[in-house]
Amino acid sequence: MIRVGVDVGGTFTDIVLERGSPGGGQQVVVHKVPSTPADQSEAVVRGVVEACAIAGVAPGEVDFVFHGTTVATNMIIERKGAEVGMITTKGFRDILHMARHKRPHNFSLQFDVPWQSKPLVKRRNRIAVTERIMPPTGTVETPLDLGEVEAAAELFAKRKLDAVIIAFLFAFLNDGHEQRAKEIVKRVLPDAFVCASSDVVNVIREYERFSTCAMNAYIGPKTSLYLRNLEQRLRNAGVRAEVRIMQSNGGISTIENSSVRPVGLLLSGPAGGVIGGRWTGEACSTGNVITIDIGGTSADISVIEDGQLRIKNPRDTEVAGLPVLVPMIDIDAIGAGGGSIAYIDAGGAFRVGPRSAGAVPGPACYGNGGTEPTVTDAQVVLGRLDQEQFLGGDLKIDPALAHEAIKTHIADKLGLSVVNAAIGVLKIINNNMALAINANSVAKGVDPRNFSLMGFGGAGPLHVAALSEMIYAKDCISPLHPGITAAMGLLVTELRYEFTRSVLTVLNTATPEEFATTNAALDALQAEAAARLTADGIAADKQKFVRIAECRYAGQGFELRAEIPAAALSAANVGAVITNFFNAHKQVYGHAFADQMVEVVTLRVIGTAEVDTLKLPELAKGGRTDPAEALAYVRDTIFDDGKATPTPRYMRSRLLDGDIIRGPALVVQHNSTTLLPPGYTARVLSHGDMHIVRA
Amino acid sequence: MSQDVDPITLQVVGGALHSIAEQMGNVLYRMSYSSIIRESQDLGAGLFDAQFQTLCESDSTPMHIGSLPGYLRGIEKSIPLDAWKPGDCCIHNHPYFGASHSPDIAIVMPIFFEGELVGFSANTAHHVDIGAATPGLIIDVPDMYAEGMLLNGLKLYEEGKRNEFLWKFIRDNTRVPGLVMGDLEAQIASAELGVRRFQELLARYGKGVVQQCCKQLMDYSEGALRRAIAAIPDGDYVAEGFLDDDGRNRGKTLPIKVTVKVRGDGVEVDLTGSSPQVPTAYNVPFEGSTKVACYFAFRALLLDTYTLADPIPANEGSFRPVKVTAPLGCIYNPIAPTAAEARFSQIQRVVDLIIKALAPVVPDKATAGNAATLSFAAYSGVRPNGNYWVFLEVNEAAMGGRPQSDGPDTVEELMRNTRNNPLEDLGMHLPLICDRYEVRDDVFPGAGKFRGGQGVVKSQRFLSPGFVTHESDRHEDAPWGVFGGQAGHGGRMQVHNIANPEDARSEYAKFSGMRAEAGDVVTYFSPVGGGYGDPLDRDPAKVLDDVLDDFITVEHAHDVYGVVFDAVDDGYGWAVNAEKTAARRAELRK
Repeated sequence: MIRVGVDVGGTFTDIVLERGSPGGGQQVVVHKVPSTPADQSEAVVRGVVEACAIAGVAPGEVDFVFHGTTVATNMIIERKGAEVGMITTKGFRDILHMARHKRPHNFSLQFDVPWQSKPLVKRRNRIAVTERIMPPTGTVETPLDLGEVEAAAELFAKRKLDAVIIAFLFAFLNDGHEQRAKEIVKRVLPDAFVCASSDVVNVIREYERFSTCAMNAYIGPKTSLYLRNLEQRLRNAGVRAEVRIMQSNGGISTIENSSVRPVGLLLSGPAGGVIGGRWTGEACSTGNVITIDIGGTSADISVIEDGQLRIKNPRDTEVAGLPVLVPMIDIDAIGAGGGSIAYIDAGGAFRVGPRSAGAVPGPACYGNGGTEPTVTDAQVVLGRLDQEQFLGGDLKIDPALAHEAIKTHIADKLGLSVVNAAIGVLKIINNNMALAINANSVAKGVDPRNFSLMGFGGAGPLHVAALSEMIYAKDCISPLHPGITAAMGLLVTELRYEFTRSVLTVLNTATPEEFATTNAALDALQAEAAARLTADGIAADKQKFVRIAECRYAGQGFELRAEIPAAALSAANVGAVITNFFNAHKQVYGHAFADQMVEVVTLRVIGTAEVDTLKLPELAKGGRTDPAEALAYVRDTIFDDGKATPTPRYMRSRLLDGDIIRGPALVVQHNSTTLLPPGYTARVLSHGDMHIVRA
Repeated sequence: MSQDVDPITLQVVGGALHSIAEQMGNVLYRMSYSSIIRESQDLGAGLFDAQFQTLCESDSTPMHIGSLPGYLRGIEKSIPLDAWKPGDCCIHNHPYFGASHSPDIAIVMPIFFEGELVGFSANTAHHVDIGAATPGLIIDVPDMYAEGMLLNGLKLYEEGKRNEFLWKFIRDNTRVPGLVMGDLEAQIASAELGVRRFQELLARYGKGVVQQCCKQLMDYSEGALRRAIAAIPDGDYVAEGFLDDDGRNRGKTLPIKVTVKVRGDGVEVDLTGSSPQVPTAYNVPFEGSTKVACYFAFRALLLDTYTLADPIPANEGSFRPVKVTAPLGCIYNPIAPTAAEARFSQIQRVVDLIIKALAPVVPDKATAGNAATLSFAAYSGVRPNGNYWVFLEVNEAAMGGRPQSDGPDTVEELMRNTRNNPLEDLGMHLPLICDRYEVRDDVFPGAGKFRGGQGVVKSQRFLSPGFVTHESDRHEDAPWGVFGGQAGHGGRMQVHNIANPEDARSEYAKFSGMRAEAGDVVTYFSPVGGGYGDPLDRDPAKVLDDVLDDFITVEHAHDVYGVVFDAVDDGYGWAVNAEKTAARRAELRK
């Protein structure tokens, strides 16, 4: 079996190839190629083919390609999606225009309202037709006017729209009108991307459902084209593998399903990193990991508790300020990375980020025209990042430029030495990241003292020790390939499909009829999930299902997930769901109510199937302390005391299982440097991950 | 005087303070029970020093930001500084002792460090019902005693022990104890978090360093606002407007006069000349609301978070340069026991008039006339099982045109920033159904180079008989245009029965306890923003967009914007005729 993971980043596309031999041995090859932003698939194909060459396998031998892509997300951020038409309920043409009527800034008069200035569907293309479905049961008060739908579709055809959505009020109670209208639109516009709100996400709340549906259509035509092109390019290059795509919920999906429902791919990029973090945590024997993926412009933070990924509260799932009612791993991104720019503002305050020098011009030391000092420049000034270690020396940098930038823009303005200014840059950026970690952990009921902090991405292991101290983490982890963790994560996840339907029921007082309705809905959702897994070639006995009731206390505005027991729901076992909800509420909000009514709002069935998982080769036993065989050279590094300390550099590739490195030290590898400040000790684990503790 | 803290530590402590306030706000709105706090985030939270200066505040509804120092000064009248003990917790809502208005209840806890009182952790939140004369909203009431429970600097906890009698008193005096008590618990949890986090910060960096950082951060924010004020030429800038009525005396409009006195790097807002106080609840508490509106106006205008590259810490510094004057006995500074609960429409207008007064000297930061109002509706009725249902709804409006962009349509403007309730969620739970929720189409947005925002129209139909109370204003005094822009439109209310859609009647902006029959439809049309700049300078492509998007008609484009179109057969219908447009505009400019 040969499997390849490909993760596309802003600058580089990372590739991991795993080859399992019949004898049980493994070969793992990692590779990097420059990304091709105009069409990500070019670098993907090039990377796969080159990785095959390095591994000495023919492209045709690859069985699976797993892919994390930012194509859909970039389309939203850059607003380069399709021209979408919308057919909606008369009287409600502007649900997408009003959103939740809350503006994005409290203290501003000149703010932008992105859903009005850059709408997913322009008002001219939102056509309201006669129809009315009534709550609470979904009865038809006014039948759908088929002629109006036909006329709208004809108009969209004349306007040459690429995509059309149908979104009616209360469609989650009765999707008859949506489906009827969809048939008409598909007949009139056979080549358009067409979806109904109840198809995309069959849940209550009109703005969020309509907007999610609109986003699906907005990114639909180009995302499906991208995926088909990718598959075709791979075929042309001789790769006949099955292609699977990472989804926002941390599971993988097929090209076909991703093309129909691209809205599930919006966190496809960063999800791989978190999955990789969970997997590395398991290898390090810990299920409690806080991951921080530090790149050039941003840092992604997530929490894994008891080996479980945390799914974001649906109240907070949005992309570019627009709601997306699709389950997503709870990842917080902040504008802090190696390229974050340090500056003194007009009022004299010392700030770092969120503005970034990005890949172009990049940090001042790159010599590509950037003159403002960045976090990377501060690392270079302090001798924490050696010039020969930028991509193993492939990238030429000039430390004098870093020094000059910090002197001119920071040190001279504040009357500090260049060294103290550089230490300040790192203290401020670390503080920003530590506060963001707290917001994603402490503020959500997680105590970092029971967690390992794992720093990855190119810059993660440089910051991880300092950050762990600031957030009081138990210890830290530097994974074997910090720069490529996201790509590895692609090889360690599962097939995962989720189906939802809103069926509102107050659990405490539910009647036998209501239980019957709920059970019927659950069975139907499970049948859908099973059909999808079967279509992917998963045998029935390998299919697993989790049934979730998304509940709230009656009168609350947003729900939390509570698992439903395997048996049919009844008065006898409903207490278990109520208890699960109570516990979830207590964890998230710090309290829960024993005497309040619990209302189910949405039912969700998650169908999963395990696929093979990446296995890294074991290292030979070392057990050495500060092994001279791995020592590259000794050079001065400045730690937070401001003094230059002669500090050894160890080659990570030469470290063996059980080796101990005592700080101060740097452990260097092709795409990353792990910083061990004085007082820290790293132990190399059997697969090469490093476990770092404060002595 | 202690020495300045180094800029690195200052930044680190500043970040921590900001984060504490955000977490306090998060705990409060996520834990709370009522939709007005959880969904609308009608709350404020922060830390204060022992002189009642704001050290940091959550980024939440502007109405609450800046009100807490007033509460703290009011509480001091009941609890002097030397009477606080660790573990105390005070509850307060008295409108004549600093409260924003009586439903906005504050929870205040002292912060002790090394045995010394170093400050307060506090928050405010809007409560659904505090036992007022009528449920939810009150307008036409005689005095403040009709507003409900007045809690004047009472210790709810003494040294960690809850006063169970007071707790029971509150529970017994609200119509919705389940909501109010749960929300109070959320407030207490939020305040406790603030106490703990501030103590941790003091322990980590030392009291002297943290206090010096707080001082420097306040000075920093003050400096930022003072520099912006200093850039405005000295002078007295005046703007006037009027309110529809006080909710009882129909046809009697109420004048508002705002004089902005810019002197060097400071500014005074003088409301002399505004209406005397009124006999209903349509008055504004001075400390907790009038002053807060003026603080907001200068922050939003001069330290706009959207245009500003660097965030300015939210603290006392941004209040210091702003002085507020309103003669005692006027609508903005009433005398007890005058009721002062329904105050939002009036303070929105203060902000709008400050913008109007200063627009000539800060044209790049101002707006044309905003809707600057509130539509707060209380729908209620009795279910077949005999239980009451009450639903409070806030309807949005629109903003005026701006120097670089159109006024946003259908949005929460100025001092408010709530979220609406999903129509589908309401429909599942209430005998009320929304029949229409769209951009208003009975009038055009205020024309301008950048047009005013279009208002909203919302129709709610009663499925069974009930009552409706509505607190609003600005049917009469339409939002103005600036720099050649045209005025927007006032709001209106309409009631009809679904059986006779043609037979609609108009209603005042404010009415109390109106009876509704099954099938009655109450429709709110919000005010519409004014235009900014000459409509003849508007980019014809934008005029075309507005035509295609049905904000205006081809005729209106021709008459007011001087844009002429050719009919085209591309499915959209129109294209700009550049030549004829130039000619038409030249003709209109003559």
